[in-house]
Amino acid sequence: MSRFSKTLMALLLAGVTTSAIAFERYKGIGRVATEAEVAAWDIDVRPDFKGLPKGSGTVDDGIELWETHCTSCHGSFGESNEVFTPIVGGTSADDIKTGHVKSLISGSSPQRTTLMKVATVSTLFDYIQRAMPWTAPKSLKPDEVYAILAYLLNLADIVPADFVLSDANIREVQERMPNRNGMTTDHGMWPGVAAAKAGMGNGGKPDVSNVACMKDCKKEVEIVSALPDYAQDAHGNLAEQNRLVGQTRGKRTSAPGEPAEQGEPSVAAAALALANAKGCMACHGVASKLVGPGYNEIAQKYQAQADAEEMLVAKVKLGGQGNWGAIPMPPQAHVADEDIRLLVQWVLQGAKAQ
Amino acid sequence: MASPMRIRAAAKDGVTEVRVLMAHVMETGQRKDSSGALIPAHFITELSARHNDKLVLSAQFGPSVSTNPYLAFKFNGGAKGDKLAVTWVDNKGDTRSDEVQIA
Repeated sequence: MSRFSKTLMALLLAGVTTSAIAFERYKGIGRVATEAEVAAWDIDVRPDFKGLPKGSGTVDDGIELWETHCTSCHGSFGESNEVFTPIVGGTSADDIKTGHVKSLISGSSPQRTTLMKVATVSTLFDYIQRAMPWTAPKSLKPDEVYAILAYLLNLADIVPADFVLSDANIREVQERMPNRNGMTTDHGMWPGVAAAKAGMGNGGKPDVSNVACMKDCKKEVEIVSALPDYAQDAHGNLAEQNRLVGQTRGKRTSAPGEPAEQGEPSVAAAALALANAKGCMACHGVASKLVGPGYNEIAQKYQAQADAEEMLVAKVKLGGQGNWGAIPMPPQAHVADEDIRLLVQWVLQGAKAQ
Repeated sequence: MASPMRIRAAAKDGVTEVRVLMAHVMETGQRKDSSGALIPAHFITELSARHNDKLVLSAQFGPSVSTNPYLAFKFNGGAKGDKLAVTWVDNKGDTRSDEVQIA
């Protein structure tokens, strides 16, 4: 005991008293998250504006930021339908007064836009701060998020062109959101008593009425699927035909009966992991066009060209537009040169998964 | 009076790129309302863009153009601070003109 200093003992005791009850089962495993770790994770902005960072931004600053970070996918005015559904449109001055978007009911707008649907301005702030820009999420400072949001709100005529959005006046903006009264919580996803009784949900009543089997029920359901050996590679290797991002993986069907490969990742696998880490896969598919051209298209176009590698390295670094349509590729100067070179070599060699 | 257009004009390497979002119903005249009566046609017929009073784009629009049309075009010339004005006229004789400075 004498080896422990008094402060250390005090810390240990404090740790035990706060976490002992909840984590008795996991004693000795892990540690309590530090305040900094919790703060980095806890970035949500709630409808009551809890968690909203202090700051402000003008519509004019928002235009500049929008042109830099957002236009390539969302269009100059948030109107573009090319990559994502439009953000702005379909709302009127009347909607801002009533808090119900009329075109949602009348169908006069060809498509539901973000500002037609969203009920709380905090959601927009949270989403932009959390997930945008697509290739570099969480890179915007609070003031920049305010500015971009101010510009979006101005596009929908919710705020005037000289507006300065800040944590002090965002509540007033909430009172002008076109669909602020359009949200219902009267279904099972929301907790608490029914909305009519000043609660939030519907009293916990589920949205579906599934009836449990009570008689002659199967004890254990086993779901299996298997391909017979002769049909194993009827459609090629399924593992290579599935998206490399996300949860779903195709079964390896190239060689019948052969067990799945194990061991060190190959150079190609490392390059694929790098492409995932640097956000390339957000816009490029391996075998198909997403926002930008697919790697197969790039490899096919440039494989005969001797200086293709140098040219593509420069293109990735500085960005470009025009070779594959109007949507520009933003500059990727934050990716190290040798990483870019590795990725380009990988693409030119066919962007293999293994 | 129709609502204002949103115009963005940016000059780069001697070429000015202009993007315009107009607010207009663009009724074709072939749709019917819920009681079965034809909704009268109401669409932009002519559009022009002027750079410092020099005509750089003149276009004829028709009923096949979408509601709240988006138009993007480029022209040679144009410098920061120059004026760019876009004007449309619709089949009811309404007109709207908006002007911005090239950025």
